[in-house]
Amino acid sequence: MKGNEGAMIVNPKDRITTSQAAVILVNYILAAGILTLPRTSVEKVKTPDVWITIILGGLIAIMAGIIIVKLSQQYPKKTFYQYSQELMGKWVGGLLCLLIVGYFFTLSAFEVRTLSEVTGFFLLEGTPSWAIIMPFMWIGLYLIISGINSMARLFLIIFPITVVIFLLVVFMSSGIFELDNLRPVLGLGIKPMLAGLKATGLMFLGPEIMLLLVAFMQQPDKAVKVIIVGISIPMIFYVITVVMVIGALSVDGVVTRTWPTIDLMRSFEIPGLLFERFESLLLVIWIMQIFATFTITYYAAALGFAQLFKRNIQPFMYGLIPIIYIIAMTPKSINDLFKLGDMIGNVALIIFGVMPLLLLIVSKLKEGKHETET
Amino acid sequence: MKQRHKEVRLLFRFLLFLLLLTLTGCWSSREIEDLGLVVGTALDLEKDKSREEALERNEKSYPDKAIMTITNQLVTSQTTGAGKKEGGSQQKAFKNVSESGDAIIPILRDMILRIDKRAFAQHSKVIVIGEDLARTLNLQQILDFFLREQEIRPSSIILIAKNRASKTLESKEPTVIPALHLIQISKGQERTTKILPPMPLAKLNGKLHSESSFLLQNVSMKNGEVKFAGASLIDGKAKKLRGFLNEKDLEGITWVTGKGKGGLVKSSDEKTGQPIIYEIESMKSKIRPHVDGNNISFEINISSEGRIAENWVVSGKLSENEFLKRAEKVSKKEVGRLVKNVLDKTQQEYKADVLGFGDQLRIEYPKVWEKVKEDWDHTFSKIPIKYTIKLTIKDYGTSVSNK
Amino acid sequence: MKMRRKNIKIRQLKMHSKQSEKTQRFKPPQDLMGHFTGEFTVDLERVRQEIGHNSDVHFREFHIGSKDIRAAIIFVDGLSDKELIDKHIMKSLMINYSEEYKQDPSILNQTVLKETIKNQVLSISELAEVHDVYDLVSKVLTGSTALFVAGVPEVLILGTTKGKSRNIEEPVSEALVRGPRVGFTETLSDNTALLRQHGDNRSLSIIQFHVGLRAKKKLVIAYMNEIVNQDLVEEVKHRIKNINIDDLPESGYVEQLIEDNFLSPFPQVQNTERPDRVIGALMEGRVAILLDGTPFALIVPVTFSMLLQSPEDYYERWLPGSLIRLLRYFTVFISLFAPSLYIAFISFHPGMIPTKLAMSIIGAREGVPFPALIEALIMEISIEILREAGLRLPKPIGPAMGIVGGLIIGEAAVQAGIISPVMVIIVSLTAISSFAIPQYSAGITIRILRFAAMFCAAMLGLYGIILFFLLLCSHLVKLKSFGVPFISPAAPYRVSDWKDFMIRMPLMMMRRRPKLMQTKDSIRKG
Repeated sequence: MKGNEGAMIVNPKDRITTSQAAVILVNYILAAGILTLPRTSVEKVKTPDVWITIILGGLIAIMAGIIIVKLSQQYPKKTFYQYSQELMGKWVGGLLCLLIVGYFFTLSAFEVRTLSEVTGFFLLEGTPSWAIIMPFMWIGLYLIISGINSMARLFLIIFPITVVIFLLVVFMSSGIFELDNLRPVLGLGIKPMLAGLKATGLMFLGPEIMLLLVAFMQQPDKAVKVIIVGISIPMIFYVITVVMVIGALSVDGVVTRTWPTIDLMRSFEIPGLLFERFESLLLVIWIMQIFATFTITYYAAALGFAQLFKRNIQPFMYGLIPIIYIIAMTPKSINDLFKLGDMIGNVALIIFGVMPLLLLIVSKLKEGKHETET
Repeated sequence: MKQRHKEVRLLFRFLLFLLLLTLTGCWSSREIEDLGLVVGTALDLEKDKSREEALERNEKSYPDKAIMTITNQLVTSQTTGAGKKEGGSQQKAFKNVSESGDAIIPILRDMILRIDKRAFAQHSKVIVIGEDLARTLNLQQILDFFLREQEIRPSSIILIAKNRASKTLESKEPTVIPALHLIQISKGQERTTKILPPMPLAKLNGKLHSESSFLLQNVSMKNGEVKFAGASLIDGKAKKLRGFLNEKDLEGITWVTGKGKGGLVKSSDEKTGQPIIYEIESMKSKIRPHVDGNNISFEINISSEGRIAENWVVSGKLSENEFLKRAEKVSKKEVGRLVKNVLDKTQQEYKADVLGFGDQLRIEYPKVWEKVKEDWDHTFSKIPIKYTIKLTIKDYGTSVSNK
Repeated sequence: MKMRRKNIKIRQLKMHSKQSEKTQRFKPPQDLMGHFTGEFTVDLERVRQEIGHNSDVHFREFHIGSKDIRAAIIFVDGLSDKELIDKHIMKSLMINYSEEYKQDPSILNQTVLKETIKNQVLSISELAEVHDVYDLVSKVLTGSTALFVAGVPEVLILGTTKGKSRNIEEPVSEALVRGPRVGFTETLSDNTALLRQHGDNRSLSIIQFHVGLRAKKKLVIAYMNEIVNQDLVEEVKHRIKNINIDDLPESGYVEQLIEDNFLSPFPQVQNTERPDRVIGALMEGRVAILLDGTPFALIVPVTFSMLLQSPEDYYERWLPGSLIRLLRYFTVFISLFAPSLYIAFISFHPGMIPTKLAMSIIGAREGVPFPALIEALIMEISIEILREAGLRLPKPIGPAMGIVGGLIIGEAAVQAGIISPVMVIIVSLTAISSFAIPQYSAGITIRILRFAAMFCAAMLGLYGIILFFLLLCSHLVKLKSFGVPFISPAAPYRVSDWKDFMIRMPLMMMRRRPKLMQTKDSIRKG
């Protein structure tokens, strides 16, 4: 597996199908944010129209995703790390790569730390964080060593389980659902909705992975479909979540809770139905989703290093573990953790919102230049 | 094969790590039989001067702060030791532990000094707050701990007790656990209009935060037995208990909000004065706000379908529509009376909107709501409310007449 | 520790194979010393040197016809069919020969003599020639008879092997409610016959190999020529040819030497005693491997869902078949996770179970001295011991012992207050669930994994179980059996294969063979 050139490191046998790419995208987007989404969005919007904001945020994310896909389609079979230097020159391209790699492993650390906080709070009080984080990371390492195909297959297994349990559990809360909590629709006009656009848009952080995935796809021309499907599904998840949470807890109740989605699960009991309480199910699927997001970002970071420095990917996989761990343990309080999340979001907006558009324009210009030259 | 060797080595390292973990022990494990399940909590205002002084000497660090007494109802392995103890007296199925102090969690932790089991509150079902405490202290502050602590579930139900809350957690019958008993009673809301729908902590949080007034179900002790009797009115701004509504008022409230799932209307026949009982099968209520410039008014449309459940009028032949219409008219009048009664009470006497009028205004006329919501309770007391009631008797059971 | 032991094992295997490489050459290549000279007494003596010391090897010298042509036969008592030798070899040569050929003078020419004997005298169906001692010895020791004729340099080998086989009866380990009561036997020819008997199938190809360096055995692979993917066949042949070991007493050895990943707890090769299972597999485009001396045939490749299938699913109608299959998946889940979920909920998350249940468990566990993990371990290990013991007990005592062990010991333990009744229920449920798995090797896997899950639960509660599940899935997605991903058709999605995955669609709807086999001919029906 020693590849000496960038093109060789992407193992030609390691390909994923269109549906696998879509599932990777879905699992990547669904992550820590779903637990705090009702609160962060309602804080800005202040009305129950948050669900419209979410749909708008999703559409914007789809647009950004399409730009990223179009950019990657210009360079078939090459990941962003490989073509960025082609496009922008050695130094600028390399800097961009490093920036993106840094984003990925910071995001990894953020997810892992959030996992540790929530699990340590709701499931395992008293267990030290390292005991929660380390086995998680090691299993992640075990998975990504076998490449993106295995990861895609694991996600394919997790995905239906997540969907089924999520729908089951969320609709069981319909007992405490009050439609009035969601009305009036657009009562105060459009302005409040737009205030929340940034918060909800960042919920759809994920299409940037297409910078890498398009290179692995068997049919790269279908990548646009992947974006559309891959963002719509989380959008539906988010809308359902927000609707049910606000419907049960009301706008006033939601903003006071740290983890509103979990609170929704804890707010009702169905006596006689096996478990009576169902937050354990929600936590199960949430942990699996965090695992998915963690492994994808982890892999993306390792791949970035490997392709940037043109070496084998495995040492970077091992080397990233302590780095991610240290970053994960950096925030000292849960507020710091949320701030880290905000910071990641802001950086992402710039890197993946603005930059791909610029790069696409530059790339088209270059193409134009080539055509006029030849 | 190299790949395999690497995998093998990784595996072994992982296994070694796991072995280490087992050596250090499991941090969060607590065997279930070491737990004392808290199934209910009662909070009271402590008026006993002697206790106050005792605490003052040891613990009280907040001057002028009221003392509370918390009673936790525990179910432990001793109380549920099924089949192990044969003969002997029937022992109580629960255990109550009380402790006093000025902030909630210090009180609870003090209980550790007295119980041998670790109190575990995830099965807590009900929180009862004593009348005095609710009048004196801000409800949001009292409940802060319960909302923050992860162990107490937001599905716990809040009740207000007339007199002392700790009494509601006692029971003469040893096999009945009072906290669970209370929960079962609250489920009776499906068959009577005299109880409010249960209010879980999750929803209470929203209500407190929205600064609107609301109602909480009352519990009182009569002859050593608990009874759900009426409701307490909690002021939206001060978040304290302001007054009581009795069962008749609650009936009116159920009709206005339309949240009833079953129940009765007792009325007396105009001609003979004998009771006719109408049983509700379904009820609906729509509150419509009307805004005309600066004038806000409300209109309530109540409709219900049901049957005649009991008829004391001997001469009444239910198969004749004429008698049916009489019954309908009389029941309708009764419902109207209930509604008017509660509207008067909330508008005039208490000047608080606990019926959801504000909500409907917010939905239909959000811009108007933004203007008036600050002082809504006051404004509400001056708003004219009209109501129409429609009752349909669908059937009358298996007996056509009494003759 | 474990690491060292495994390393030692790997080294031993390596040494073993190196030795075999050396000993493979113990037969001198084309040694002229072994070659037959044509000189009757010399050749015979040469053979006597090799195997004459064995008491069951017999040398019989005689004359062919009345022309005084000396001849001798060599055979092994017990392996050769004496009746065949007496009636068809001795008689033909001694008696019949003289009447017909006495007069012909050209007989005296050696070649003509040999050809005549070969083509006109001996009424034997299997006949071959050998030129040196070693081939002769190898053939005689497997039951053939060697015929020396004075003056003829080649020795004729006559196929007189008499196989001793037992009756065909239903396999004990794979009894079905509905289905043929037929199982393989230890004789390879019987087994291949059973496959052929299934129906006139000109596509069924049976290719033979010899495996084992000191104790050469016959191994046969079977596949449907028109259906199977040729790459698969080549891969199977390749792996079999690479088997480097002295002796293969059972097909389990073959399985272990050709599987993809020997570290995985999951079997990557399926074994069965039932011919109908083998035929079903062959029709799907898989390859079967049969070894002489064992009734257990191997089928490759295998996926997880195949390990949970039983031929009964197909013999019954689709509705019972589907429901029973779903039940089986459910029992796998229970068998794997029930004790660990119990440990997780009791020790870590008592808030997740219904209140009334929690209260009764608390009451039941009053006075139990051990934490949940130890309790679970005690019970599970006891059940495993009972199970192993039950296998070795003589038939009449076996079932009684099971009842004694299960009921009485469990009851006594509860009475003594060592374990709680809930634990007994859970453990018996899991034990019974593991019997519902049709493939014994898969059942063993689940049992092993159950213990791992219990430890994970004991350390980190529900989170531990989730991590275990993720680890298990991560392992499963990597596992391949002869190039086919082990967890097909769950992932990657091949929805058309789902018709036979967790449910079984009506036969009318299953027109195509599983895509994952990439077979040549994908339509089942005409």
